[in-house]
Amino acid sequence: MKKLLKSKWFIALIVLLVLAAFSILSLLPGSPVKKLLQPVQLVTTPAQSLVKKAGDTLSDFWSAITDGIAIREENKALKEQIADLRYHLTQNEEAALRYEELKEALHIKDTFSNYVIYGAAILSRESDEWFSTIRLNAGAADGIVLEEGNSYPVLDVEMNLVGRVIESSETESRVLPLLHEGFAVAGKVNEVNGATFMVAGDAELKRYGLCLVKGIDPEVRIEPGMEIVTSGDGGLFPEGVHIGVIESVDYSNPLDVTATLRPYSQIGKLEDVFIMIPYVEETEPSSTDAG
Amino acid sequence: MRIITVKTKARARKIIVYAIYIILLSSIQVSFPDSFSFAGQTADLVFVFVVLSGYFNGFWDGAVVGFICGMVRDAFSPPAIVGLDGDIRVTAFIGAFTLFAAGIIGASFFTRRMHRNIPFSIVAVIFVTFCYKIAGYLLIYGWSTISGNNAGIYDPFTAFVYSFLPQLLLNTVASIPMIALLRFLGPVSFKGNANKDEIIEQDGDGTWLGI
Repeated sequence: MKKLLKSKWFIALIVLLVLAAFSILSLLPGSPVKKLLQPVQLVTTPAQSLVKKAGDTLSDFWSAITDGIAIREENKALKEQIADLRYHLTQNEEAALRYEELKEALHIKDTFSNYVIYGAAILSRESDEWFSTIRLNAGAADGIVLEEGNSYPVLDVEMNLVGRVIESSETESRVLPLLHEGFAVAGKVNEVNGATFMVAGDAELKRYGLCLVKGIDPEVRIEPGMEIVTSGDGGLFPEGVHIGVIESVDYSNPLDVTATLRPYSQIGKLEDVFIMIPYVEETEPSSTDAG
Repeated sequence: MRIITVKTKARARKIIVYAIYIILLSSIQVSFPDSFSFAGQTADLVFVFVVLSGYFNGFWDGAVVGFICGMVRDAFSPPAIVGLDGDIRVTAFIGAFTLFAAGIIGASFFTRRMHRNIPFSIVAVIFVTFCYKIAGYLLIYGWSTISGNNAGIYDPFTAFVYSFLPQLLLNTVASIPMIALLRFLGPVSFKGNANKDEIIEQDGDGTWLGI
């Protein structure tokens, strides 16, 4: 028995069994097992930020050298574009005033007016095919408080859908990216009364950077190049968030029409994202409570 | 007394070298994954490092380095899977399980018979990567079937051609600079490995004293 207890294989087996049990326990809602990783996070996060910063600095330095000529040409083109945009801006200011008047009159709501938007930087990305969540530097301390079963949409700087927050700690939150096979969102064609369907991640399409569009009504004509936005069904995502464009459509099975979608957001190139949290108006305490 | 001092110093040095590797490689892995990606797969530098640590430095090195690297991976980029209730959840300790297993398999892959020689270490990386992909695929297949979420499953041929092969290629390529790193920056010594197998088996620490 003593020999068995000292055997390295026996010890390894016990460790593996304990780790497997912890992995399963971590799937339970509100599992305290995850808290065991907090000390590791505490130690490694500053080191990882430092390495990331050093890598970014090197990459920027290299870009500054290699992109010099391209930047000069781009600068010239941008100056021309600015002049053109200034002209359009003066014209649009008039239209904006008119829109505000109409909005008041018709009680039109801005698409995202009911959401508070928090900015966050990406700390770490997926490390391989299966270890694929993204870590952000905003957590409960920054107002990202996630209740069980709830989730918040995450957008890039151009307000395209990136994914959704699925877990938050005091200082960090974890995002399930759009391409992950567990991701799903109700989408629609970006036009008046556009057809609705589901946009979901798919393991096979992930390697091409594509999502699967399913639940398409066979009567509806979906074509490559169509822009897809969130439909707002389900209540998790607001209506009108840009997702991407249809890449191909498969009508071979009339009972199961599917399509592929290329998302606008390029997760690999993102540095900063925005988290959308539904705005809850604080109710004022009643006079009896106050006094 | 002198021997103990040398051993303690060497042990401290080894721990420091390992700590630097673990932090650097884990950070690079999750900070710039696109820099070493190909065909939708990413070279797993940490995984390769764990296997090689086990292969060259023995069972306990592989196990401890694997466990710590796994914990760091769980902290940085844990997998999210669909639970039995249909909700998606972030898991914990799957990284620790995977890399701990990788470390001990790497340490046991014909290490004595091949005297921990360098060319065979690449075969060890290929073998353990293959085991990892097969086990991962089977686990996902089983879990997806139980949870009723088929989005994570792809057919065996696709898995082999588009997931296993690119990953094997990338990890094999990554293992070459990694061996050079381990050789020149420590904590592995390749001087007279044939004679050191016994020491590794008994002690687990002595071999890298010649760095």
